[in-house]
Formats: sequence, C-alpha cells, structure tokens
Amino acid sequence: MRPSDETGAVGGVEVLPFGFLVFVAGTLLLANAWGAVEGKVAASAAAREAARAYVESSGPADVALADARAAAAAAIEGHGRDPARMVLRPVGPLSFERCARVTFEVTYGVATVEVPWIGAFGDGFVATSARHSEVVDPYRSGVPLDPAGAGVQCDG
Amino acid sequence: MGERGSALALMPAAVLVFVVLGAIAVDFAVAFLAEREVSNAAAAAANDAAGAALDQERFYADGAIRLDPASARSIGRASVAAAGLDHLDDLDVRVSVRGDVPEVTVTVSARAGYVFSKALPGGPDGVDVEASATATAEEDD
Repeated sequence: MRPSDETGAVGGVEVLPFGFLVFVAGTLLLANAWGAVEGKVAASAAAREAARAYVESSGPADVALADARAAAAAAIEGHGRDPARMVLRPVGPLSFERCARVTFEVTYGVATVEVPWIGAFGDGFVATSARHSEVVDPYRSGVPLDPAGAGVQCDG
Repeated sequence: MGERGSALALMPAAVLVFVVLGAIAVDFAVAFLAEREVSNAAAAAANDAAGAALDQERFYADGAIRLDPASARSIGRASVAAAGLDHLDDLDVRVSVRGDVPEVTVTVSARAGYVFSKALPGGPDGVDVEASATATAEEDD
C-alpha cells in the first residue's frame, strides 16, 4: 500500500448531508411503516380474541361483551401496546344467541413520526383496524335459541 | 491526485441500499401479515362450518354426525366475507366437505399488495397468499 496524503478528501464531502437526509428520512419512513404493520398485527389479535371470548362466554349478553372487551385489551397489552388507544366495536347486530354471527372490529391508533420531505402521516396517528367473525355454537348450553324460531339451523 | 476520500461519495448509495433492504423487510412483513389474515379467516370459517353445518336429517335418522355440504359452504363463505379482507385482491374461498367423516376444509387465497416494492423499477406489485384450515365436528362426551 502506497503512502498517501489527504488529497481528494474534500471531493464527496458535499454529498454527506444528502446521505444523512436519506438515512434519516428512510429510517423514519420504515419505522412508520413497521409501526403500522405491528399495529395491524395487534389489532388482528385483539379482534380475534374478542370474538372468541364473546362466543365462548357463559353469558348473559352484557357479560359476554365485557368478556370480549377484556380479552381484546389483554391481547393489545400482550403486544406491548396501550389498550386506551384501542377502539372495539361490533359490526352488525350483536346477539348472544345460538347461531348468531358475531363480528368485532378493533381500531388502533399508531403514533407516527414526521418524515423530512414527506411530512406527517395522518396528523401523527395512523389508524389500523382488523375484523374477526365467529358463530355462537348452535349446540352449546346456557345460551337461548333464536326467539323467531329458527331453531339450530344456522344459515351462515 | 490521490483517491483518498472518494469513498465518501459512496455513502449515500450505501445508505440507499440499506433503506431499500429495510423497505423489502417491511414488504415481507406485509406479505406475512396477509398470510396470517387469510389463515385466521380460514380457521374461523372452518370452525364455524364444522360447528354449525350439522346434517340434522342424517343425525336424526341414524345418529351419524355428518356435515351438510351446502350449509357448510354457505357458512364458510359468510365467515370469510365477515372477516374484513376487503383490502386484499382476488379473494377466493373454497369449501370442501368430506362425505365419510364430519370434516370440512376451507381454503382462502388472495393477492396482497406490496407497499414499497412496486416503487422499484421492475419490482413486484404484490404476492399471492393462500391458507387452508380443516375442522372436524365431534360429539361432546
């Protein structure tokens, strides 16, 4: 290796700020995207746990709903997220009867960081949501039948 | 003139490579998430169909536990439709019921769109995902 001085060191220095900006902006963009993906995973797990807890609850309906909320909050917490930022809501009619289809949707707000050149996403929050649906077992005990007389013949 | 310092010019390119690699990692996560979603939907649909599609005429005739294919298909499709997979493209649901045992298999396939890869020249715009789940109805002891 031949000895050399620092000739040429200046050449290229001017691109360093550009590289730094690309690094910062790129990293923040990826961090935001990754946060949204993680939020979606957490919301998906919470919706699944809520629907499962509801259809397997011993009832009555208000207790089943409380079970669903508790299960969803526990799932969100288990993913290291804040349950206070979670919104759980039933989609369509919520009926605690055999054969009833129960669908829950969980929306979770993921905090984002403003990215240079690109800006902020959704005022600093991106809402991720997920749904899960289950049918109350038509042959389980402790749950009333449809009063309309549909029996246990589920139609989906 | 020496060449010392010329590596500095490669810095932005190197950073860009890392950012692109990170973007690919995010897109793989999106694909994995879609795979999980269709898997969950298939499992829930199979569970619903196995639990709610009992062929009652057959059961009351000879006590055999079998599933009604038409009912299983209807329940399975309704379950996937309620799963909120509208953001996936080309969603397809296949429900098959075995005749000899009370077993139903639900296969859900879809196409998930990438976030970053489609911005790259020649990059794919999405990935096909598919999952199957099988459930069996059993009499409780």
